[in-house]
Amino acid sequence: MVDVSRVQKELTECNRDSAISGVSIALHDGGSSISHLTGTIAGPQDTPYEGGTFRIDIRLPGGYPFEPPKMQFITKVWHPNISSQNGAICLDILKDQWSPALTLKTALLSLQALLSTPAPDDPQDAVVAQQYLRDKSTFLNTARYWTEAFAKSDSTGMEEKVQKLVEMGFPEDMVRSALLSVNGDENMALEKLCSS
Amino acid sequence: MGRGDAEEVSPPVSSPELEQDDGDDDCYLSDQEDDALEESVLQVLEDGHLEDCHWSSSSVITKEYLLGAQKEDLRKMIELLGLKEHHARTLLIHYRWDVERIFELLDQKGRDRLFSEAGIPLRSTSNAGLPSVTEVTCNVCYDDVPISAVSEMDCGHNYCNQCWTEYFIVKINEGQSRRVKCMAPKCNAICDEALVRKLVSAKCPDIAERFERFLLESYIEDNDTVKWCPSTPHCGNAIRVKGDIHCEVECTCGRQFCFNCSSEAHSPCSCVMWELWIKKCRDESETVNWITVNTKPCPKCHKPVEKNGGCNLVACICGQAFCWLCGGATGRDHTWSSISGHSCGRFTEDQSTKTEQARRDLYRYMHYHNRYKAHTDSLKQEAKLKRDIQWKISISENKDSKIKDYSWVINGLNRLFRSRRVLSYSYPFAFYMFSDEIFKDEMTPQERELKQNLFEDQQQQLEFNVERLSGFLEKDFQNFADDEVMDTMKHVINLSNVVDRLCKQMYQCIENDLLYPLRTPHNIAPYKSKGLDRASELHICLDSAEQSSQSMKYSHDEHKTQPGLHSNESGSSLLGKRPILPLHGSSSDNSGRPSHKRERKSGGALFDLNVPAELADKS
Ligand SMILES: [Zn+2]
Ligand SMILES: [Zn+2]
Ligand SMILES: [Zn+2]
Ligand SMILES: [Zn+2]
Ligand SMILES: [Zn+2]
Ligand SMILES: [Zn+2]
Ligand SMILES: [Zn+2]
Repeated sequence: MVDVSRVQKELTECNRDSAISGVSIALHDGGSSISHLTGTIAGPQDTPYEGGTFRIDIRLPGGYPFEPPKMQFITKVWHPNISSQNGAICLDILKDQWSPALTLKTALLSLQALLSTPAPDDPQDAVVAQQYLRDKSTFLNTARYWTEAFAKSDSTGMEEKVQKLVEMGFPEDMVRSALLSVNGDENMALEKLCSS
Repeated sequence: MGRGDAEEVSPPVSSPELEQDDGDDDCYLSDQEDDALEESVLQVLEDGHLEDCHWSSSSVITKEYLLGAQKEDLRKMIELLGLKEHHARTLLIHYRWDVERIFELLDQKGRDRLFSEAGIPLRSTSNAGLPSVTEVTCNVCYDDVPISAVSEMDCGHNYCNQCWTEYFIVKINEGQSRRVKCMAPKCNAICDEALVRKLVSAKCPDIAERFERFLLESYIEDNDTVKWCPSTPHCGNAIRVKGDIHCEVECTCGRQFCFNCSSEAHSPCSCVMWELWIKKCRDESETVNWITVNTKPCPKCHKPVEKNGGCNLVACICGQAFCWLCGGATGRDHTWSSISGHSCGRFTEDQSTKTEQARRDLYRYMHYHNRYKAHTDSLKQEAKLKRDIQWKISISENKDSKIKDYSWVINGLNRLFRSRRVLSYSYPFAFYMFSDEIFKDEMTPQERELKQNLFEDQQQQLEFNVERLSGFLEKDFQNFADDEVMDTMKHVINLSNVVDRLCKQMYQCIENDLLYPLRTPHNIAPYKSKGLDRASELHICLDSAEQSSQSMKYSHDEHKTQPGLHSNESGSSLLGKRPILPLHGSSSDNSGRPSHKRERKSGGALFDLNVPAELADKS
């Protein structure tokens, strides 16, 4: 049912300039289904998401492009319009404002724009939205931390480092902020924790 | 409401019928006279003063007229605003088929804003939008297609026909077909229905049919003043109301209903109250509640045992005594608050007040429900009572007597039924009016008590007289001597009028003293002394309809001829004889008029409008 030739053209077109646009699309897990894709977005500059790479699960319904694609963040992200639990996205063009003349690339670019300009009045995650409105600095710290912890390629070792320091007896939140402040250097974090 | 004003407008005159009855001064107006009066009131109402009273008139839209009625509205838009048909429909759907409002807004907002808000493109584009080449790339499928296979909407956006078709099919399947927007991002223009029809029917005729049906039904679904008749099996009709939608109507199929909520006619209960009431009656939550609060299982035989009296030692019929508070088996030796040899220590004031509250609530509900039910049960006897009375009348009429007119019995009986309805629904009304459930902060307890007394006084008077009327009507007058018959007649006529007046007064009390002072508006359907208005049949001015049918192309034959034109073919001579009115129906005066059901044509129609689309699609 999915318009295969259109989707293939979309993939080629999108990946042609992904170095500039910061968005790219590939078949999900290198699989063979044209209707299950993975998109990536580079975190926009001057935002707490900068430096992160965010992966998005894309599923194309049978009526694509006449029905909107289904998109969900795979990478955990702290943002008022994205669920911190499951990555669900609140964005009009993925719902009733979808138009068949839009593309997966434009949708990903919209998500990138959403990362730059949150819309806390129409939140997907109420907790995050509250924090964004009431305590901006904590919001920025948390978002930055989540980017560090989940959206960076070297962040795989992050949880291990946290685990190790927690097991030494430090409270988890202190461990995380210490690690964050020293860009994940385990020894420096330990020093910091001991001196505080 | 209407009749209350009637007496001020034109004072009662004595009727010829009544003068035969040697002018008994105690006799009030007969029903016939009321009809004459009401007609003059209606006339007054129609001449003006429509604003501040519950004025409404209803008309029935049969499936033949469904198309005619919307064509008429479309025609107005097309002629007066110079619109294309699909733009006229777009405008009407956007403003829920409220023609008057559209003209109001046209004044306030101006043409451009009115149109763009509804999704009608302002500029009418020439085909200059399409480049003068033989092939273009469709922005949806990215294929290069010949220009002949591309369609442009009024907004100037163009895509290939194959993409348009796929898109329309998805939208129609989503049930959005009444407002299919252009495919271009952020373009609010509504697609040309002729193009939708053309492209979709070429690929999927069945989906094109659904589209057609959705368009047709938009007139009902997107229209606050039109509702499907709730009859099952569905009679195929819809009812249109002009004026206050808080009213009760009768379809030509005989089904009576509250226009606002489509439930059975329930005035003077409001729709909100009625919904709560049926829900309450349905789950009988009170009873369940009562049983759980007021009974406990016996520790020996497990039967539910009700507590009687104030002390906490209860005894089951099996002989087992047990403690009400903890449910534990005990001996029978006890004082008021303790049982010897048993100490559960669970006696609390709170427990007993909760029980008391539940008991009070239940008794309150039962009080209202019993009375409500008594009157509804009596109404169920309606048909039987009518038969009995007809039989008595036929015997009386063949009797050797100078009394030949027994219309007073039928009039009295109709009055009895109407007032019983009012009484019956006045109980759920009172149940909610004087409780915290809906009007918690609207009245102080003192105010509430005062108002409740005022209302109950009227209700009791009405009830008393209704039962008296009922008593006289049940008399075996067929066996009476003439003077006894005359005496019964006087009582029946008298009581009928008293009861009618009391109903009217009770409505006035409800509307003016109880509901009017509320901060949140609460509406009820007005009192109809003569029973519900039967919806009049809709007639369309033939001349204009004929004109418009030329300017509009419809896909099937039935639409080309206006209903009414071939009324004789369809066997309804009634239509031919009745004057052809302009589009809006008028309130029909129908008391005592035989029901004029029209045979509905069944052949020729493309779809079966006997069921709304959603239902038809499910099956
Ligand atoms: Zn195309
Ligand atoms: Zn457009
Ligand atoms: Zn009906
Ligand atoms: Zn209602
Ligand atoms: Zn027992
Ligand atoms: Zn006792
Ligand atoms: Zn006890």
